[in-house]
Order: sequence, then structure tokens, then C-alpha cells
Amino acid sequence: MTLHISLKQMGRDCGMEFKITKGFDVALEGKPSDTITDLPSCKTVALYPLEFTGVRQRLLVEEGDQVTHGQALLENKTATAFKLRAPAGGTITEIRRGERRFVDRILIDVDDGAEAERFDRYTPEAIQKADRQAILDQLVRTGYLSFIRKRPFSHRADPEVRPKSIFVNAMNTAPYEPDAERVVADDPQAFQAGLDLLTRLTDGAVNLCIGDNAGDTLTTAERVAVSRFTGPHPAGNTSVHIAHVDPMKPTDVVWTVKAVDLVLLGRLFLDGTLPTSRIISVAGPGVRPDARHYYRLRLGGDLTPLLKTALEPGTMRLVNGNVLSGEAIPQDSFLKLHQSALTVLEEDGERHFLGWTMPGLDQMSFSRLFASSWLRPNRRWKLGTNTHGEERAMVLTGYYDRVVPLNIMVDYLVRAVLAGDTDEAIALGILETDPEDFALCDVICPSKVDVQNIIRDGLRQIEEEGI
Amino acid sequence: MKHILTLHDRIRHHFKKGGRLHSIEPLFDAIDHFAFTPATCTHTGAHIRDAIDIKRVMITVIYALIPCFLFGTWNAGYQYNMAHGIPDATFVDHILRGIIIVMPVIIVSYAVGGFWEVLFACVRRHPINEGLLVSGFLFPLILPPTIPLWQVAVGITFGIVIGKEIFGGTGMNVVNPALLSRAFLFFAYAKSMTGNVWIASHGDQIVDAVTGATPLGILSALPAGTTTADAIASGQIDFMQMFLGVIPGSIGETSTLACLIGAAVLLITGVASWRIMLSCVIGLLATASLVNIFGSSPMAQLPPYYHLVAGGFAFGAVFMATDPVSSAATNIGKWIYGFLIGFLVIIVRVVNAGFPEGVMLSILFMNLMAPLIDNVVVEHHIRRRRKRA
Repeated sequence: MTLHISLKQMGRDCGMEFKITKGFDVALEGKPSDTITDLPSCKTVALYPLEFTGVRQRLLVEEGDQVTHGQALLENKTATAFKLRAPAGGTITEIRRGERRFVDRILIDVDDGAEAERFDRYTPEAIQKADRQAILDQLVRTGYLSFIRKRPFSHRADPEVRPKSIFVNAMNTAPYEPDAERVVADDPQAFQAGLDLLTRLTDGAVNLCIGDNAGDTLTTAERVAVSRFTGPHPAGNTSVHIAHVDPMKPTDVVWTVKAVDLVLLGRLFLDGTLPTSRIISVAGPGVRPDARHYYRLRLGGDLTPLLKTALEPGTMRLVNGNVLSGEAIPQDSFLKLHQSALTVLEEDGERHFLGWTMPGLDQMSFSRLFASSWLRPNRRWKLGTNTHGEERAMVLTGYYDRVVPLNIMVDYLVRAVLAGDTDEAIALGILETDPEDFALCDVICPSKVDVQNIIRDGLRQIEEEGI
Repeated sequence: MKHILTLHDRIRHHFKKGGRLHSIEPLFDAIDHFAFTPATCTHTGAHIRDAIDIKRVMITVIYALIPCFLFGTWNAGYQYNMAHGIPDATFVDHILRGIIIVMPVIIVSYAVGGFWEVLFACVRRHPINEGLLVSGFLFPLILPPTIPLWQVAVGITFGIVIGKEIFGGTGMNVVNPALLSRAFLFFAYAKSMTGNVWIASHGDQIVDAVTGATPLGILSALPAGTTTADAIASGQIDFMQMFLGVIPGSIGETSTLACLIGAAVLLITGVASWRIMLSCVIGLLATASLVNIFGSSPMAQLPPYYHLVAGGFAFGAVFMATDPVSSAATNIGKWIYGFLIGFLVIIVRVVNAGFPEGVMLSILFMNLMAPLIDNVVVEHHIRRRRKRA
């Protein structure tokens, strides 16, 4: 125990280094360059209430209503303090309902002169001494608590629970999430304020996990324990960080937050109003080379003007987030509150002649079964959405383990979930993971099994049964 | 190529639901996807996918088997020509004779195995599995060249239907279907699988001097008074010959060299587990060394490294034991599984006078034990996790 504490202390003082060896960097074409472009302000913004999972919706406005920036549009029936607020002031032009009559989009015609709702405002020093409850109240009231997730299950943090520690993810190895340094360096004050308010929420450490290309803003962050991770994806996944820095026991609760989101939390507390914009990366092989960089966009802002000029011709898939675990979004999308990246790739239905035996110099593979694995190890691939094969029974064993740097027997975890054996799945450590940790299994699986979905179903089932 | 694609697209609707040929849709899909990779896009999970698929994995195993097949074809012809006293037969003669002996066996294996695979796929409406490509090729290679074709058909039927399909098809089977087929023939038609069956011949034209016994057969039937050392000294058992495989035996498994080339293909491409291959060898050498010290029978006195090149060990360790479906799945489990195969091979060879060769039975037995081994490993893993908590 003493050793454990002293190690932890050491980590806080001089920073810990972790080298991850298992994994795989998918060399996807279309890495974003470092420039940030300001997009002209949008006429229309949207709020997507279904982004906030676990909210029982009660609508507070109607179409045609005038709303202020930050006014509550919906609240959670089961915990009314939790409100979803307007990303901009103006007139509500559309309330769209989707499956089971859930409100899935609210459109607002922006009025730039509209007032902004006021929340508590703090100086950077005041945040360091702020009351935990006051911070939580403000996070709940603004709905911004949803930026903080809890493990297990990766849901919105529960304000009633004190987390053992908080992990800030300031590196992301999946293609393509924004480079945390690039985003936080744009507003270092807000980032440090965000870190400071996290330190008020836990009695344990706030662990800032950075990659080997982290710049000054990240490495000089104060009042947090900095851990540095190197290695291929998923070295940048929070589960990997937790497992190496401060492994969870079954009863532990850990909170997690992305560094790029922390800037928004910091702004909220420094300004006392909801932030108006955020920086997102736009990348991927489906984006024109000169358009692959960072954009500052109004929160909830319309993506259509950007997409009109930035995309390559052809049928494209837009992904909110990275291509490994992001969700596909329609072409007429608006920026979601939690969205920090837009990755675009081609819908690829191309069929390859005798694909099972061609040398495959133009095929990307983690395996060593294609000529490209030997002759073109450093190539960046213009990948589309093709599955490159049909689903089959799981045949190869131990293959997934090569890309999951966690103490998890992936084959057996997957089998336990498929067999509906939740006790076994928990015993095998499913609660220490998130579906995104198995995204590479989806990618490399020769049997084309969606491992992420299997794990997601397993976690859902465990949650329904209760642990 | 474009024409083929257009043709496929034009007739596809006949095989879809409501079409006249819907009942054989899996067959159409198999042919279609054999010619061209499917056009499907990702719907859930990761948006991008690796180019690897099971077809490619299975075909790599086939490529790895080709040296064994080629050598086996030559050897079958060579042994035939030698036995029939045609010493001036050329390389081409051997090959041609080998093709006449071997190809019918392979064709029957694929045709009958394929029939069952397609039938089950159509009835149970699952895609036709590529596993058959490997099973249908492995099975002929572990048969004696004299095997009657009807037995090939019966054997592969048993292996595919009882060994695989009743469990749900490729990926669900407990034991290796090709090995099970052979075991079935071994016990059901023992006369075709034992004794002097290793050289293809026409009735009694065989030259008297040739017995057609395999080195292991010679050892298990050494006349009294002769020792293993004598057999080696007299050239009856020759390491180099056994390594190269210019000896009577099953079609594809006599040449350790050909198996090593296949092993190299499987290991470089990462398709087969190096842990299993290595642990098989370690288990075999360790056990053989032990019986070498303590045993006194002719088989026990055989120097350990001879066991590596004798019988079907190399073929079994490279192609049979490593079958990912029926072998152990955990890394530690693979070590134990392989080691015990090597161990059992020696035990059967040395202790059991009834079977001079034990590779087939050892692997089948360990196939059955593999889930148990994995279970122990997984339980151990879970216990360690609990302790940490």
C-alpha cells in the first residue's frame, strides 16, 4: 500500500511514462493540418437532445418561441435540475421528433442580438477554491455535466457519487480525432480552469494523459498528475490509461473527460455564459486535401456550408468522431455539442476480382497476408467503408488480443457476452472497458465480426440486470 | 471481368427471396464472392475494415500445403515405379504416375465434401464456408495412395457431416474434420489403412524385394535380436530419407522438408500458431529423450530427433494441430496443448504395440481436451483478476 501511494506520488511529481506495444495505427489518408479556420457565423443552429443519453425528455418550449442563448429547451423528467439549453438565442423553427416520439432535433434561427442566460462566473483563482457542490450544480443546470462520463458504462457522471479519480484524455490515437494540444493551446486559460474545477470534484488525483507529441500547454498543466503514453492506437484510449495509471476494482467509479471538451467547461465557468463555439477537426480521405484542418464553428452550427466546399466528389459517409468508433451522421447535419471531429470517407462498394488470392498491393491489412504489408508498410490508405468480406464464424483465436493492450482475454469476453453469461463477462473484466477499446478488433477481424457492438450489448445487458 | 460481373448482377434476382432458384442462393453467393469480393459496406461498428477475410486465410493454408502435395504426387509415382521394377522411369514419369494415383483421391474428397457443405448451407441457409477448402485438401494428403475411392467418399462424408456440420459448420466443430475422417476410416476399414498399403500398385506385380513398410512399421516389427542401432546402421531407417520423404507413407506427409516449407508460409503470414508448432516439437523431444533413457524396446531406443521426421508428426504438428478451431485458444493453453500432443505421440509410438503411429490419435485426443485446457487457463486468469481486486 505504501509503495502504491509513493508510486502515485512520484507520478504526480515527475510524470509517469507508459509504453504501449499492442495495437495498430490504421494509416488512414487525410490527416488534418494544424491551421484553424474561423467559419462565418451560422444562421441556424441545432440541439440534438438524444446526444444526452438517459434523459427522460420534458419539452419546455414550442415552435415559434423566442429563446435566449442558454435558455432551457428540455429538462430531464427524472431529475429536473438537468436541463438542455439553447446553443444560441433566436426563434425556434423546428422541433423534430424521431423514433417513439423522442425529440431528436430542435432548430433555432439565430438572432445575434439575443440575450444570453447568466450563470455563476468565477475567476481562475476562485475556481481552485470553489465549492464542489456549486460546481456540480452549475454543470447539472447547464447540461454540461454530460461532458464528464463515468466508468463503468461510460454514462454521464452521477453528481451523487464521488469518483475515485478523474482521467482527462489529452491524446487521441484514433484516426482522426483533433490533436488535444492544438485545441487547448487556443485557449490555455480555459483548459487550466477546466482542470482546476475537476480537482474540486474528486478526492483522488486528476490524471492528465498525454501523448508523446504533447506540447507546452499540456506538459505544463498544473495541479494534475501527468502521465505520458506512447505507442500505437489504442494507446490514447481512456481504458488503457486507467488500466495503467490507476486500475479500477469492481466497486470503483472513475470519471473521464476529453481535454478538448474541458476547454468548454472552463469557458463556462470563466465567462458565466454557455460557450458559443468550439474547434473541430475535419479530416479523412473524403475531404479535399486543402480542407483537411481545424475549424472554429458555432456550437450546434450548420455543417452544410462547410461540407459543400470541403468534400471530395462521390458518395461520402460523414462520421461524428473517428472512423473506428464514431457514428455515421446524415449529410444535412449540424454540429453536435459533444462532437469534436468530423471524419469523411467514401462509401466504397467496389468489388475486387479474386480478392482471396490477388497479391493485394493496394489493400490495407494488419495481417501479413497481403503484399502491401511487406512492401508498403508506411503507406497512408485511402480507405472507404467496404467490409472486404462476409461475416463468418470466429475462426482465428488470439487475434484480437494483439490489438487490445488491456488485461482482457478478448476471445473469451466476446464468447461470454454472446452466450449471455454476464457473470463471466464481469469476471473477465468487461466493466473496465468501453466498446471503443474493441474498435480495432472490428477492423482486423477476418470473420468480420462487430466486436464493439457485442461488447456494447454486453454492457447494456449487465446494466439492465444490475450488478 | 466486367462481363462476369454484369452476368452475375443480371441473374442475381433468381436467387434472391421469391426467385425460382432461391433454394440454392448460398451456392450462387459462394461463386459470386469467389470471383469478386462482396460489395457490402459497414453498417455498424468500425467504419473501415481490414482487407483480410476467411477466404484469404484458408487459401493461405492451401498454398502452404502445396509443397506437400507436389512432393506427395511425385513420391507416390516414384514409389509405384520402384515397386513395379521400373528403375529407369524419369522424373516426368513419376509425376504423371503420381497424378494418376493422387488426383482421383483429391477430386473425390472435394466433390463429396463439397456436396455436403453445399447441401447443409442451402438447407440451413448459411453461407458456404471456406473451411471445406482446407479439410477437403488435408484429408487426401493423410491417406495411403492405395485408398479405394469409395472409402475416400465415405470418410470425408463422415468428417464433414458428423465432425462439422452437426455442430453448426466451420468454426463450431470440436475436432479437426480431416483427422476425424481419417480416424473413421482407420477404425472402420483398418485393412485399407494399415499393413502394406503405402505403395500404390496393381495387384501382385510388386517386386518381391519391396515390402512397402514405413520406417515406423519396420521398427515396430523388428525381428528378434536386431536392435534399433542395427536398423539404422543397415540403412533400413535413414534419417535423410525420412527428412526428404522418399519413403512409403501417406500421400502428403512423408516429407518433413515439404512440411517445413509449409510451416514457413504459415508462420511468416501469421496464419498458424508458432506456439503450438514449437510446443509440439518440445513435447516430442522431451518425451522421446526420457523414453530413450528408460525404455528398452526398439521404438524407445530410436534417437529422439528421428521421431521428428518419422511418420506424420511434421505434417500433424504443422497443419493439423494448429487448426485454430479445434486447438486450444488461449496462449498458455496452446503451449500445454502442443506439448501434450508431442508427449502423446511418443507414448503411443513406444507403449502401444498396436499402433506404430500415434500422431492422428494424439491430435484428436488433444482436440477433445483443448476446451478443458482453455477452461483452466481462463479460470486461472479470472482468479488472478479477483485477487487484484
